[in-house]
Amino acid sequence: MAKPSIGVYGLTGCAGCQLNIINCEDELLDIAAAVDIKSFIMAQTGNVECEIDIAFVEGAVSNEKQKKQLLDIRERAGLLVAIGTCASWGGVEAMINDVPREVAKKDVYGDTMKDNPFYDCFNPMPLKDVVKVDFQIVGCPIERPQFIQAVASLLNGNLPLLPTYALCTECKFKENECLLIEQDKFCLGPVTKAGCGARCPSNNIPCEGCRGPVFEANYASEVEIMLEKGYTKEYIAQQMSTFAGTISAEDLGARKLVKTDIP
Amino acid sequence: MKSLRMAKRHLPKFLESLGKWGKVYVPVKLGKNSYRWEEFDGEVDNIALDALRTVIPAKKFFYKPREVMFEYDKTNGYTQACAECEEDVILFGIHSCGIHSLETLDNIFAGKYVDNYYFTRRKNITIVGTSCMPDKHCFCKSMGADTVDEGYDIFLTDLGDDFLIGVGSSKGDDIVNDNPDIYEEVDESTTKRYLEFRNKRDESFELVLDTSDLPTILDFQYDNPLWDELGERCLACGSCSMVCPTCYCYNVDDTINLDSETGERWREWDCCLFRDHALVAGGHNFRENQGGRLKHRYLHKQQAYLGDFGRTACVGCGRCIVACPANIDYVECLKAMRGEMTSA
Repeated sequence: MAKPSIGVYGLTGCAGCQLNIINCEDELLDIAAAVDIKSFIMAQTGNVECEIDIAFVEGAVSNEKQKKQLLDIRERAGLLVAIGTCASWGGVEAMINDVPREVAKKDVYGDTMKDNPFYDCFNPMPLKDVVKVDFQIVGCPIERPQFIQAVASLLNGNLPLLPTYALCTECKFKENECLLIEQDKFCLGPVTKAGCGARCPSNNIPCEGCRGPVFEANYASEVEIMLEKGYTKEYIAQQMSTFAGTISAEDLGARKLVKTDIP
Repeated sequence: MKSLRMAKRHLPKFLESLGKWGKVYVPVKLGKNSYRWEEFDGEVDNIALDALRTVIPAKKFFYKPREVMFEYDKTNGYTQACAECEEDVILFGIHSCGIHSLETLDNIFAGKYVDNYYFTRRKNITIVGTSCMPDKHCFCKSMGADTVDEGYDIFLTDLGDDFLIGVGSSKGDDIVNDNPDIYEEVDESTTKRYLEFRNKRDESFELVLDTSDLPTILDFQYDNPLWDELGERCLACGSCSMVCPTCYCYNVDDTINLDSETGERWREWDCCLFRDHALVAGGHNFRENQGGRLKHRYLHKQQAYLGDFGRTACVGCGRCIVACPANIDYVECLKAMRGEMTSA
């Protein structure tokens, strides 16, 4: 039986997630033995864009060219896995999605963008807004063991079991002092998906939410808690949109849960 | 059961002696206002004798937050993985509520299918309890967990200049016999001071919950809208459960390696406030909204466990009250269900 084929692609992002795959140095040979890597521009030459079993896509969609590329990948791939918070939630490039794109572009590039097609971009959006996404491996960047575990599970016909609960749970596993409660720090742990081993709070740094929202993120309650602690509405919205800017301000303040239907 | 007294200056010697029975763990200060169980570093001053609640309770010594249950291999079958299972551990500084919580967990893990992961470790653990003075979040007295008559090897009660040493098991007896010079017989003054301590402690409880008739009241209050109001505030972050000394639910998952031939079975602490907890095949969820999940947790502590084992599963340590980012207060909520005026 032929080995399952995969492709690794990058849209708008820092390429850190793809780099983290290449950084799986101890497992790279095992990965190469288990799958046939058809396309991975960052890692190899001689790439072939053909039908593949699994596509791993990093980055947000921010222009028409990428949208077309993603639709093409989706058509060729059996399973499409979003890797990283950009691909899953828009990531840092979506943090100013509430500012009209034309204004943002003008602010950053001034007149230099005139007649340059490179600047033809729209508000960055997660893959799920364009195509059906079968699974997300979140993180900024993704955690190497989770990528390997996901590949191994998918090879055996299972959706990977990665943590679905909030970071607080993992932070408790680490027996950390609660930075939100005991130190009144602005911590997004209660609404952020676990899986990083509570890396920041374990080093006395509050969670910035880089893994994106937990399945049913109660932003409304988090906002209330932070307002009570004296943080301003503007500050709260700014912090919350750093990694999950595609969740609208309306959702952030409303008395409702922000749900995602992707495992 | 026998009682002795030991001058406080002998504490270093006492702890040194404990080391002969295994690795000694003690509560140490962490950050601004928290405590954590850590291996004793030999410095008595580093022990937080005044610590009321560690972030994670003593259950972590028998029941790990996440652990491998066994490894599997297509050709060789299963290998049980329990590396530190046979390690002898001494817990110095566990309080009365903590000792009660161990009994609560013992009941669960000794059920129809005895949990060997738990009991293999549990039997190797020596319990050296210490007395405490309640703060505003302690309500162990209401839960009948403010004193202990059994469940420990040694129990130290702080009587000012010295400790009353309660010996609760033959292992405890071995420990005091190892170092007979540091102990003295109790005398009239010890009795007097012990009774004074008890009265003072009894009067120090600020938080009181009337538990009489509570299972029935909770039955009547099943549709109280307060459950959903609290559910709207609940972040489902899992903190209350993780820090709870009697929460025992776990989730089991298998991981497979890239060779598709070997892998591991894990178990990990779970929580009934998580969406996935009551999620079953087909996407059906027995507890669809957060209020229902929160109610389930409260009812299990105060009603279901009681039905099975004759006492509430809550020991009143106050950890869940302290650990909730949304200030959801277990006692206030139950008071409200009783019809008492509260701020819940």
